[in-house]
Amino acid sequence: MLTLPHRPIRIAAAVALAIGIALLIALVLWAILAAATGDVGSTSRIDIPHLLRMTSIQAGLTTVLSIAVGIVLAWALNRLRFPGRDLVVGLFASAIVTPGMVVAFGLLSIWGRNGWINKASEALFGASIGNPAFGLSGILFAHVILDGAFAARIMLARLDAIPDNRLKIGQSLELSAWQRFSIIDWPALRGTIPGLAAIIFLLAFTSFPIVLMLGGGPANQTLEVAIYAAVRQDFDLAGAVRLAATQIAICSVVILAASALAPIPTSLGSSATPRWRDRGAARLLQWLALGVCTIGFMLPLVSVLIDGLGPGTIRVLMQPNFWWATLSSITIGTASALLTLALALTLALGRGATGSGVLRTILGMPAFAYLAVPAVVLSLGFFLLVRNLGVAPATAAPFVVIVANSLLALPFAMATLGPPMEAIARTRGKLIRSLGLSGWRQFIFVEYPLLGRDIGVMLALAFCFSLGDLGVIALFGTQDFQTLPLMMFRALGSYRSNDAAAIAALLLIGTIVAFVGLPNLFERIANAAR
Amino acid sequence: MVKFTRLALAVLTGLIAAPAMAQDAPKLTIYTYDGFAAEWGPGPALKTGFEAICGGCTVEWVAADSSIGTLRRVQLEGDTTPADIIVGLDTAVAGEARATGLFADHGLSLTDLALPGQWTDAQFVPFDYSHFAFMYDTDTMQTPPTSFEELIALPDSVKIVIQDPRSSTPGFGLVLWVKAAYGDRASEIWAGLKPHILTITRDWSESYNLFLTGEADMALSYTTSPAYHIIEDHDETIKAALFTEGHYPQIEVAGVLKSSKHQDLAKQFLAYLVSPDAQQIIPHTNWMFPVANLAGDLDPTFASLPQPEKTLTLSDEDIAAHGQEWIDEMLKAVQ
Repeated sequence: MLTLPHRPIRIAAAVALAIGIALLIALVLWAILAAATGDVGSTSRIDIPHLLRMTSIQAGLTTVLSIAVGIVLAWALNRLRFPGRDLVVGLFASAIVTPGMVVAFGLLSIWGRNGWINKASEALFGASIGNPAFGLSGILFAHVILDGAFAARIMLARLDAIPDNRLKIGQSLELSAWQRFSIIDWPALRGTIPGLAAIIFLLAFTSFPIVLMLGGGPANQTLEVAIYAAVRQDFDLAGAVRLAATQIAICSVVILAASALAPIPTSLGSSATPRWRDRGAARLLQWLALGVCTIGFMLPLVSVLIDGLGPGTIRVLMQPNFWWATLSSITIGTASALLTLALALTLALGRGATGSGVLRTILGMPAFAYLAVPAVVLSLGFFLLVRNLGVAPATAAPFVVIVANSLLALPFAMATLGPPMEAIARTRGKLIRSLGLSGWRQFIFVEYPLLGRDIGVMLALAFCFSLGDLGVIALFGTQDFQTLPLMMFRALGSYRSNDAAAIAALLLIGTIVAFVGLPNLFERIANAAR
Repeated sequence: MVKFTRLALAVLTGLIAAPAMAQDAPKLTIYTYDGFAAEWGPGPALKTGFEAICGGCTVEWVAADSSIGTLRRVQLEGDTTPADIIVGLDTAVAGEARATGLFADHGLSLTDLALPGQWTDAQFVPFDYSHFAFMYDTDTMQTPPTSFEELIALPDSVKIVIQDPRSSTPGFGLVLWVKAAYGDRASEIWAGLKPHILTITRDWSESYNLFLTGEADMALSYTTSPAYHIIEDHDETIKAALFTEGHYPQIEVAGVLKSSKHQDLAKQFLAYLVSPDAQQIIPHTNWMFPVANLAGDLDPTFASLPQPEKTLTLSDEDIAAHGQEWIDEMLKAVQ
């Protein structure tokens, strides 16, 4: 029997926010439909069933592979301790928030025709490895680099939070490596899988530039490409909304499934350095997994650093515009991160406070709203809404970007904060009721100290997401307002690939610093509060 | 801290670069694409140049992510658009842009332009041009193909990268090029190109980068692209392959919107845009050929670039009427 503290305010706030987000999406679609002129375009030319089939296969494979890779990598990283581990964890996590293009080019500089591996293979064996980086294999590879490492990061946080006493009991029972995984680790991991799988599926389903670039041609496409074409090329707004609604409907099925699966209560503790090592084959497997993932995931990112850091970096650092863009990026990143935290806490606290399955499902859904709505439709809708309010788009741009980035980071924030929040509600409920704590004190004395590190991870994610996102800024671009990724793409678009490489490397360094620093910082702050 | 907060607020409201403006100075708002307004693009120098001669006006660039994006934005805004001028559409979308009825006649006489062919457009003023062409690297390709058919006949291991015609200007340009050169045989040519296509990217920049990093042997770009590498990187190895069928040009144009409250000033800007003063700015910032005869003032690098023997053309009306169908034909052939 669950004992949940009575928290009507938390539930009400979460429900209000969920309704607000749903309304916003509805408004966006309505604004586009209202602007659509009567002419029915030619979206009927698009073979939707074919696109959906291709996209679903690609997204399904991406999801399965990423979750599998994530589990193995988290398991290995949880057991192994080595100098620079924090940095490795930070680097793995930074893939998901690095602009997709940067990751794709990093991937190519390792695995491409002219990449390191092919060059080495030609020098050593006189044979080429072919070109695995294009076609479906290339898309999957790039997506697994992005999503698998992210899944590992979230899962690692859960494994690191397994209380010391459970490990001690396990150790004294002399559990084998497999028993240890299935009895102690798996229950902690299980809760993260529905949310992660939904995020990864949606990301892969709507991934656009990577799919186009590595797909090798129109055979590998997503619905998002068709929507983009409907808006930009045919200017068939009604058709674009119709396609967007199709995409939202399909994504909603995935979201519903993920939200309905209740996370399994896990226990929480502070992470301690484990003194319990696996032996023999398991240990070997862990090092092997770490080695393979390092080569697969880290080399592309390392190559971005190597390509970008050189004499060109100095030239970029000398440009005042680079510093303005940095300042804009940091300001927007900070604002979005705080807004994301507020939104995610509201939803997660509300979800944790209710025992009703239906309500929990409803509160789980809005987090994914942004992922289901095509970026081009969202930015167009925001643009029209802002215009209808009589605000100049250039003035509204930063605020729209902040809101959009927060919505983008929300599912990731929920994946980070949701499982530990559930665990607290379910394991500390009796204690909170017997102490008669108010909701506010419950947060200050019970939840916040236990969540410190997760809040840090979440803030880092949200912050870096806003650094890396380009989706919404497209229609709001002005000369004076640019973020780092925008500056990078502008450089790339005017032959300055060296400048773009330097900005990409600097962006990546900033991301890694945020990922290594923020979780540690917040754990300290939270622990100091006790 | 207070200072930082104020700075942050200033950044957030985009006030950083907006100087205090006198109320009476007319302001020209010009929509263009990103690269044009960027600090290394022609935008800043054109602004300075025009503000010096217009007698107290100011020019404000508003950058959208692409040229088609500027047109869509104006279509969405309709009569309430703050834009006076759009700079950066091209002849491939001119027909569609004209059909919106949003553009006013420019009223300029444009008889002595250095363009391939005569310019007769009443609404749009050309300001630069270049032909589409495939780039190759002399280090890796000694004898480039001299026609589409020669390219098709090369071994399948020779890879090209092109752009999606639905999202990219050069991507659409290639569809028009093949159509203008081969007409009814276009889909046959596309089917022949298919094994050589490494991938079809969303934008020009992605495919060009694939070519520069050696992932592909050739990339669709412009005959003027090598000038950038020669002038900025002192690299002579990037060249455009000239095809005997002839090449299709991209001519970039500007037009005044009927809804503009500064019709005269806007037309004055267009006149400035085709004047030698403004045209001198274009080659080194937009990496295209100027439309004015700069004679000795044109950078020798540009002057010495190999030019196609033959320029292919299609009419605006044809493109507006059949563009979609040609794109579909191409997508089907390379599927």
